[in-house]
Amino acid sequence: MKVLRRIALYGALTLAALTFIYPFLWMASATFKPLTEVGTIALFPDNPTLDNYRTMWARAPFGRALLNSIMVAGTITLSVLVFGSITAYAMARLRFRGRPLLNAVTMGVLLVPGQLTLIPMYTLIVQAGLIDSYAALILPYLFNATAILMMRQFFLQIPQSLIDSARMDGMGEMRILFSIFWPLSKPVLSIVAIFTFMGSWNEVLWPLLVVREQQLMTLPQLLTVFSLGGGAGSIGVSLASAMVLVIPVVIAYAVLQRHFIESMASSGVKG
Amino acid sequence: MPSIHFEQVTKRFGTTTVVEDFNLDVADGELLVLVGGSGSGKTTILRMLAGLEEVTEGTIRIDQRDVTSLAPRDRNVAMVFQDYGLYPHMTVRENLSLGLRLRKVAKTEIDRRVAWAGDMLRLEPLLDRKPKQLSGGQQQRVAMGRAMVREPLAFLFDEPLSNLDAALRAQMRIEIGGLQRRLGTTTVYVTHDQVEAMTLGDRIVVLADGLIQQIGKPIELYRSPVNRFVAGFVGTPPMNFVEGHVTAENGEAAFMAEGIQVALLPSEVSRGLITLGIRPEDMDVELGDQADSSASKGFPGSVVLVERLGGTSHIHFDSGPHRLLAAVSNERLPEVGENITVRLKGERIHLFDGERRVTS
Repeated sequence: MKVLRRIALYGALTLAALTFIYPFLWMASATFKPLTEVGTIALFPDNPTLDNYRTMWARAPFGRALLNSIMVAGTITLSVLVFGSITAYAMARLRFRGRPLLNAVTMGVLLVPGQLTLIPMYTLIVQAGLIDSYAALILPYLFNATAILMMRQFFLQIPQSLIDSARMDGMGEMRILFSIFWPLSKPVLSIVAIFTFMGSWNEVLWPLLVVREQQLMTLPQLLTVFSLGGGAGSIGVSLASAMVLVIPVVIAYAVLQRHFIESMASSGVKG
Repeated sequence: MPSIHFEQVTKRFGTTTVVEDFNLDVADGELLVLVGGSGSGKTTILRMLAGLEEVTEGTIRIDQRDVTSLAPRDRNVAMVFQDYGLYPHMTVRENLSLGLRLRKVAKTEIDRRVAWAGDMLRLEPLLDRKPKQLSGGQQQRVAMGRAMVREPLAFLFDEPLSNLDAALRAQMRIEIGGLQRRLGTTTVYVTHDQVEAMTLGDRIVVLADGLIQQIGKPIELYRSPVNRFVAGFVGTPPMNFVEGHVTAENGEAAFMAEGIQVALLPSEVSRGLITLGIRPEDMDVELGDQADSSASKGFPGSVVLVERLGGTSHIHFDSGPHRLLAAVSNERLPEVGENITVRLKGERIHLFDGERRVTS
């Protein structure tokens, strides 16, 4: 009985997992199919080919866009982690005048929808003369209120005696943050990292507003321009470019998955 | 020459005064215990000494040097925390050596000191483990080792045994005492547990509401508590208190309360409302109602509960409206409901006028 129940359970779970994974696998396999085969739902191409990727690479600077995306998303993620955790540490563990106000303001920022700040932000970037530059892509995202609050929440749970010990041992506040708090905060740091990286990686609207030069375009932006502008020509090529977009995120997730799930479970944050 | 010196130290959090006008000298090599209930200010005093809490007013000196506004790392003191404060992501060895590495002590010297502390605290087999893999007692020893390797001017202990079970606590108490005597390092030890205070301290400071109640050797606090608070705080089971008044007739003084009458020496007379304090172990219990009770400082009681602890037993009894406790080592114990006669041993009674002691 027990075995049967187990088999039924695993069967059901496998089925559920397949419904999630199948479209992705289909897309992956379709990129290796010639145009004549793309319409079928089969997972394995009869005549596998790399033509879709060759075409894509030849028609637009995807290599460059990939590097741009890595650079932009990487810089933003690093900055959100470093500056965000410094802010979060101060908000969680240091006593200073105006701390409650800072907490309230940070919380308040969450209430403002991103779309609302789009136009003022655009105006600022234009006035600063930063249109068509990496700075335009990166600057607005260097700080992130959600990340600060998540890290602050986590930092609040670290025992005060660790800070006290570290101060007695001779550490300064920065050192306490990076050599005591960081190693103990891997779950929250990885979830912040992956959310920030994915958010930045998938961002299309903002790059479309501030960057027009192809050499500076990020991957999703170039992809959008490429596919919607008819540059792809065929669905296989469109899917191939989508694959290039997705793979880094999948890799990042696979690497950080353990912390990611841990953090989801412990912080109750829903993705 | 005092090793640690507090001069008129006051600490306020906002408008709340936690410690007021605190003055204390700790002698070189002394083990001084700060004891008090929660909110007594004992931990705040220790944290001010460590530099983890700012001093609102006053001066703290360590080894003649004014450290009042120095950072913790510049004070040359080491602290052991209640929950140990070990870095969970580092091995025992790394935990022990971190403070030395940050102070740029030479590697060979670090190794020597870690080996020395490891040997003294029986930590060698554990040096490459993480704190999570250690028992509570072992973590406690690592925390002590971390303080020792620094070779500081003073050790500060903040309720180091509170997280241990009773048996281990008794064992670690002995270890800490032994270690401190061997090293001879000046130590300030904070606890809420008066047994720890009595057994460990060269001297004890009893605190309540941020004020010093009494400073003295353990036996002085026990024998001659200066006020009712100290009398009730020091000693287990705690001292019995009876409210009453003192009368003097024909040169004979007596303490009178409902159901209790105790003859006093003439010198003890201080008329008016008085509180009588009697330690449970300063009472003898005789079975049966003895008629001559008033003549020899005896009074009757009725037993309500007997706790047998093996060597000694606690007899809870009522005398008039007063519920009292006697700790005795009788062979024959009274039964619940039985009448007894209680006699006071020698001159060991304590009289308090309001809060303050009036005689010894």
